[in-house]
Amino acid sequence: MRTAIFSAKKTPFYEKYRTNGAKVIDFSGWVLPLEFSGTLKEAKATRRNCTLFDVSHMGVIRISGKKCREYLEQLTTNTVFNLSNYQLQYNLLVNEKGMILDDLIVYNLDNEFLCIVNASNKDKVLDWFDVHKSKEVDLFDETEITAILSLQGPQAVQLLMQMCKDTTIFDLFYMHARGVEVAGVPCLISRNGYTGEDGFEIYCEISLASRVWDCFIDSGKRFSLILAGLGARDILRVEAGYPLYGNDIDETINPLEAGLQWAVKYKDKDFLGKSSIVDILKNGIQRKRIGFILDGRGVPRKGYSVRSEDGELIGKVTSGVYSPNLDKFIGMAYVSYPFKERTTAVTIEIRNSLYPARISSFPFVPINVKK
Amino acid sequence: MERLYYSKTHEWARREDDNAVVGISDYAQQQLGDIVYIELPELGGRVTQFTQCVTIESTKSAAESYAPLSGEVVAVNKELTNNPQWINESPYEKGWMYKLKIDDSSQEKNLLTEEEYNELVAQES
Repeated sequence: MRTAIFSAKKTPFYEKYRTNGAKVIDFSGWVLPLEFSGTLKEAKATRRNCTLFDVSHMGVIRISGKKCREYLEQLTTNTVFNLSNYQLQYNLLVNEKGMILDDLIVYNLDNEFLCIVNASNKDKVLDWFDVHKSKEVDLFDETEITAILSLQGPQAVQLLMQMCKDTTIFDLFYMHARGVEVAGVPCLISRNGYTGEDGFEIYCEISLASRVWDCFIDSGKRFSLILAGLGARDILRVEAGYPLYGNDIDETINPLEAGLQWAVKYKDKDFLGKSSIVDILKNGIQRKRIGFILDGRGVPRKGYSVRSEDGELIGKVTSGVYSPNLDKFIGMAYVSYPFKERTTAVTIEIRNSLYPARISSFPFVPINVKK
Repeated sequence: MERLYYSKTHEWARREDDNAVVGISDYAQQQLGDIVYIELPELGGRVTQFTQCVTIESTKSAAESYAPLSGEVVAVNKELTNNPQWINESPYEKGWMYKLKIDDSSQEKNLLTEEEYNELVAQES
């Protein structure tokens, strides 16, 4: 276990969070903070105030070249062509069978594209991009030279405006980006995140990242900013209904089952895997991603069985957490579809006992992004 | 301060005449992180030394807790079920888990003193 930690990759903020008392874990080959002052406290602070996450482990792939726009349009399910300059969108890569290879955020930056991909899929996605590359497309893996922070919560915008001494940040649209200087360091900021709250991601070069961090810690004091880790990040994204690759989506799942059809513009464009998607639409899906809330107390973990009230096996849990913001135990699961009964009552099997739960739509909490 | 005995699995037992109050140590609650769920033994049930009788779940993982002594469960901290965070906040007081009428006080020789337990923790960390 100790060897794994030492050989794992470190973000530019590693020393910073060690001195801030982070409990660290290995995540996709990176050593990252699981929590600082407490997972539940950090999850609550994100929705009430603001928190700062180190997310530098995310994969950063830059795509440039004369044909990069068409190239990306062909490989992704959402319409990259529609992105205005400095706009970003949620997107999917699917294979020929229409199964999800990754979910990613695509940025249009002066006709180059930045793809922010799951750390666990970075190598796979880079290979996929490379195999499908044409002559006038260039690929750059910028993961290890990019520092990324995520500032999330209702106070995030006030803090960032204060730090950058720039009130126009207030007007930055959701899913849009711009350049800004933080403590004299040129950064790219975008108004997005993985929590369902208003917030920003901040990108800069690793050599200057330390200065940006220090500025957050310093200016953050006035706003009671606290540091947050992966434990809180997982709770927040489940509360918001966002899938996690490796849990709720993977190569055995297509976007329709996952409830991500909205990111698949099969009517508007051609893309690798489209014919399979169209077939699935014609034939219907066999299972569907749902949310559920336990009636009582019990932790619904990944892999646990979902059963009907009669005990019949109907699906499996893919994510589950205690939600401190709802004081409920919630999760995501795939269940047989169409639903056999009209009822929303199900049970979750936890250590051989059946715990009653109700199917719930996403999100579990109000989404407060600045739309 | 009353004597606390500890098990190698990080439970503490505090003798109160024929009874022992049981909880988990401060080190244990720190390692677990935020505790969100607890399953306590049945009131009136029996537990055997070093066998599992409690399930604790934190945000990170599910863990088992073992009886430090054999006996009959004569009290259970029922409010803990809806307030599992008390174990994190006050592992030796408010976060007590259950009380046993112990079968055999000689079983204490299988437990660690506070000094021995602190040494164990120092080695583990």
